Amino acid sequence: MLLAVVASLLLYFLDTRLDYFKPVRMTLSTVVYPVQKLASMPDDFTTWFADFFQGHRQLREKIMKLEAQNLTNSVRMQKMQALESENMRLRELLGSSFRLQERVQVAELLSVDLDPFYQHVIIDKGETFGVYEGQPVLDSLGVMGQVAEVSQFSSRVVLLTDPSHSIPVQIVRNGLRAVVTGRGLGENLQMEFLPHNADVRVGDLLVTSGLGGRFPVGYPVGKVISVNFPQGKSFAEITVTPAARLATSREVMLVLPGEKIDFGITFPLQIEESDLPALEEQPAADAPITSSEENN
Amino acid sequence: MVLVKPQHSSVIYITLLFAILLMLVPLPDTLRYARPEWVAITLIYWAMALPQRVSIGVAWFTGLVMDVVTGGILGIHAFAYALVIYLVGRLHLQIRQYPLWQQAFTILSLVSLVHFIVMLSAPISFSWNHWLTVLTSTLVWPLVYAVLRKIRRSFQVS
Repeated sequence: MLLAVVASLLLYFLDTRLDYFKPVRMTLSTVVYPVQKLASMPDDFTTWFADFFQGHRQLREKIMKLEAQNLTNSVRMQKMQALESENMRLRELLGSSFRLQERVQVAELLSVDLDPFYQHVIIDKGETFGVYEGQPVLDSLGVMGQVAEVSQFSSRVVLLTDPSHSIPVQIVRNGLRAVVTGRGLGENLQMEFLPHNADVRVGDLLVTSGLGGRFPVGYPVGKVISVNFPQGKSFAEITVTPAARLATSREVMLVLPGEKIDFGITFPLQIEESDLPALEEQPAADAPITSSEENN
Repeated sequence: MVLVKPQHSSVIYITLLFAILLMLVPLPDTLRYARPEWVAITLIYWAMALPQRVSIGVAWFTGLVMDVVTGGILGIHAFAYALVIYLVGRLHLQIRQYPLWQQAFTILSLVSLVHFIVMLSAPISFSWNHWLTVLTSTLVWPLVYAVLRKIRRSFQVS
C-alpha cells in the first residue's frame, strides 16, 4: 500500500510539475489508443449501419442539398477571393502584415466519453500528422478549442467550455477586446473582467482577436446572450453561447501554422479542380505579401 | 492461500478491460454524471472474491490505465483504486458475509471514497449532480455481483 501511495504521489508530481515527463505520457496515451478506438466502435458501427441502410431517395436529397450548398459556397468564395486580394493590397499599402487564410487539416472525433469533469475530446490525428500542442481546433461554424496533448495517433482537445480554458476575443461591432472562459459541461461561456461601463450588448458577435498568438485572427467564437451588471461586483456578468457545435460536430479542422498558402490547397474540399487554373493567377498578387511576412 | 495455483486469471483482466470500455462508451450529456464506476466495482468484486489475485498492485495499475485513457492527471485513479482495494483486502472476509443490501452500502462508501479522491483533483465547483455516479454504482452492484460470480464460477477462476 505504501508503495502504491508513493508511486501515485510521484506520478502526480511528475505529471503536473515537470515538462519533460510529457514523452512518457505521450507513449502511454499511444498505448491506450486501441482501447479508446474499441470503445468508440459501437457508436461508429451504428453510424455506419445508419449510413448503409439509408434510402436511395434520402441519399439523392442529401446530394442535391450538398450540391446546392457547394454552389453557393463557391460563389461566395469567388467574391471572398476578390475581397481578400483587395484587402491584402490595401494592407500592403498600409504596411501591415496580415494573414487571411490559414491552412487546415480535417480530423475526426473519436466518440469516447472522457472524465466528465474535464471538457476534452479525442481526435484521430496525432503526431504522425504533425499535430502539435496548442494547435487551434475549429469546426465549420467557429472555434472549438485547442490541442492539449498529442500522442502518436491521436490527440486530446480541450474544448472552449472547459473551466481551465480561456480564449482572447474581440467584439466585431466595436473591436472591444476581452477574454472568454469556459464553465464546464453544458454551460455557456463567460466573458470576464469587463467593467460595468463596457460597451457590450446582447447579440454581439465575438471573434478571436489573435492576441496571445495561439488562435488565428477572426474566427467566430460565440454570441453574447445576456449582459448583467450585478450591484456590488466589480465586473459585468456576460454570458456567451459558443458558435461551434461543440456537442454534435464529428469532423473538426486543425489550423496549420506557417506562411500563406495558395487558395486551392487551403480548401481542397470546396474548390473543384476545374477552378484551379483560374486560381493560379493569384500568386503574382500574393508574392510581395509573403515576403513582407518573412520580414515580420 | 499461497498454494492455490492461479487459474484463468486472464478472465479477470478481460472483465477489467470491459469495465474500462464501459467507462468510455459515449453517453448523452444528461446521463454523463450518472455513469456507474464500472472499473471500481469490478475491482472491488475481484478483490473481495479472490484477494490473492487482485491486490493493490493490480488496482494501482488499472487506475493508471484509467488515468491515461480518461486524460486526467496521472496517479489520481491509481491512488484511489489502490486505497479502496487495500480496504477491501483488509475487510474481504467480513464483506463476503454481508447480505446483499449491506454489501451495497459498503460499495456506496467505497465508491464515494474513490469519487471523492478523483473530485479533489478536478477543476470544478461542488454540485450534487456529480455524486450521482455513487448512487448508480450502488444500484448496479447486485447485477455486477451476480454476473461476475457467474463468470468466476463458470470459468473456475481462482
